[in-house]
Amino acid sequence: MAAIIDVDRLSKSFGAVRALHEISFSVAEGEVFGFLGPNGAGKTTTIRILLGLQRADGGTAARLFGATLEQPALYGFLSGRDNLRLFARLLGPVDEKQVTELLGLVGMTERGDDKVQRYSMGMRQRLALAQAMLGKPRLLILDEPTNGLDPNGIHGLRILLRKLATEQGLTIFFSSHLLSEVEELCDRVVVLHRGEVKAAGQLSELMNVKGFQYRIDVSDVERAIEVVRSIDAATVEQGTIKDSITVSSDQDIARIVNHALVTAGVGVDQLVHTQRGLEDVYIELTGVSPGSPLSAPPPPPPPPAAPVGAKS
Amino acid sequence: MFISLVRTELQKTWRSRWVVFAVMGGIFLLIAGGLYTYYVISQHRWSPPPAVAWQTALRDQITVNQRNVTDLQSLKQQGGVAGGPFRGDLSIDAAIARAQKAVADDQYLLDNNIAPLQSSAITITALFGLGGIVMFLLIRIFGWLASEQVAGERSDRTIAILLSRPMSRDQLLLAKAVASFLVSLVVVLVTFLIVYAMVSFIQGSAGPLTGQVAIAVDGSKPVGAGNLVVMPIMLFVLMCLGGAMLGVLCVQGMSLLISVVTGRWAAIGITLAVLFGAPLVSAVVTGIITVISGSSDNAHFLTYLFVNVLAPVSSIAPVFGNAPAVAGTGMNEFGTQITTLAVWTVAFFAAAWLLFHRKQETG
Repeated sequence: MAAIIDVDRLSKSFGAVRALHEISFSVAEGEVFGFLGPNGAGKTTTIRILLGLQRADGGTAARLFGATLEQPALYGFLSGRDNLRLFARLLGPVDEKQVTELLGLVGMTERGDDKVQRYSMGMRQRLALAQAMLGKPRLLILDEPTNGLDPNGIHGLRILLRKLATEQGLTIFFSSHLLSEVEELCDRVVVLHRGEVKAAGQLSELMNVKGFQYRIDVSDVERAIEVVRSIDAATVEQGTIKDSITVSSDQDIARIVNHALVTAGVGVDQLVHTQRGLEDVYIELTGVSPGSPLSAPPPPPPPPAAPVGAKS
Repeated sequence: MFISLVRTELQKTWRSRWVVFAVMGGIFLLIAGGLYTYYVISQHRWSPPPAVAWQTALRDQITVNQRNVTDLQSLKQQGGVAGGPFRGDLSIDAAIARAQKAVADDQYLLDNNIAPLQSSAITITALFGLGGIVMFLLIRIFGWLASEQVAGERSDRTIAILLSRPMSRDQLLLAKAVASFLVSLVVVLVTFLIVYAMVSFIQGSAGPLTGQVAIAVDGSKPVGAGNLVVMPIMLFVLMCLGGAMLGVLCVQGMSLLISVVTGRWAAIGITLAVLFGAPLVSAVVTGIITVISGSSDNAHFLTYLFVNVLAPVSSIAPVFGNAPAVAGTGMNEFGTQITTLAVWTVAFFAAAWLLFHRKQETG
């Protein structure tokens, strides 16, 4: 499938601070792409370069034209409808039918003629999404679109984006530090940390790439931990559920563990192959727990970024 | 595409700042009402005065100036102020010479059937409507509006949306400059018509729109062949309008320059501080130079340094056929001031373009 965004060894520094260091990824047409990383990872800088708001020090960031949505950037003194008309005029003749349809799509028909300055944050986010869809773009770039939304708003936005992707075949570039959002919405992700790509790939692959994990409900937790520790390929810890242990390994050792426990006289009530969550992968890759105060570490003084290739 | 951009900018300016225009309209109405009240009280009449032919007005002015010469000469003979300063830094001899020159200038115009500038309501409007206090205030409002053009978009973060649209930075900046200029042109034209109506009322006639007027090439020298430019009335009006709008454009260039590098409130603050502060600083420095050197002519160079955007038109204002003129007035001065303003304007816009072109939006 053709790439709608193709980023190749993109670098960017702000003085001595290295924001991006030779990051590369591509987004295929029609996919919902997650751009994941803690605050300060370089997500917004990458998006700003994609949008032409900043220049890269090196590398290329070719893209086909797409609409954008960052923080809800709208004119408060205009109504929602007039905002859409105004932005639509920058793309060509205003299509009133499309403006009305978009207001309906984001659930803003009733409030479309009110001034934006009277809107809640959720309404602004929805209108900004409608703005981003003017001109029927093939690509939507969404930078932290759930900022400021309540759970209902987040749920509504997620349903809407999924609908856009499946029904209209839109490519969605979804930047977020909220793992649950990315996990539920995206087909493929890139994990960015301190300006570097830490992982990239299909979400399902990424969550399994680091091995296998099992939850085993046992009759004697202490004895079970002692038994599993003797297995070379396994790491074990007490489970989060009562009378359970969690076993991790880079190999599929379910039968070996089960056999060892039963042989040692430990009762095994249940052995469940648990899917590793994106959060586990994320913590392993970035070393920070999402939402923790450590999620925005100051970047270390980097070596000067070497310009590579043509500028974007 | 570019026209759509300009249209969008005009719409944004009107929708976000219509209150400013409404307030300006209200101020104009108040000024007009105040002037009319003053007219009624001072002239003891409600209706306009009867129109007076310019030749008659000129003869009356010659009579007044001749009486002035006589009075000044008798004052000098009494020895009260001989040799010393008489009015400000003007000696009585200089005052007599200026009054005599005014008489000679008027007589020359009368003898050669050349209408002076004040012979037509529309020329008076051009001088005072486009070179006086009204433009002084309007230009500051235009500067304020222009300073918000880019800085406001940056503060609202809408600049990211605009720049992600299929348009270049150059197009966006140019559209904003053109929209600012068009708004100011409309406001200036409407203001001109209001002032014209007021002047016509006070003059008792809207005056001729056709015919010729004369302007001294050098206002400090006697009017006569070689020191007069004769031109159609409407050309003169257009010349003043052009001078005033160049001043507006210069201020808008400066405001845009500030706007491309700051946020909204910083841009407005810096722009207004410069626009109100510069005349103040200029006046103080002029005063110091005048005190030290003994003549205000030595401070004339400040007009170029402080970008006095009213200078072109106001340099013509004192050049009435019957008014004493000083150095730094006349068509020559108008040309010099226009050139100075043009250089500043180009410099401001070039700097604004360069900085905006290189600017990376990080906010």
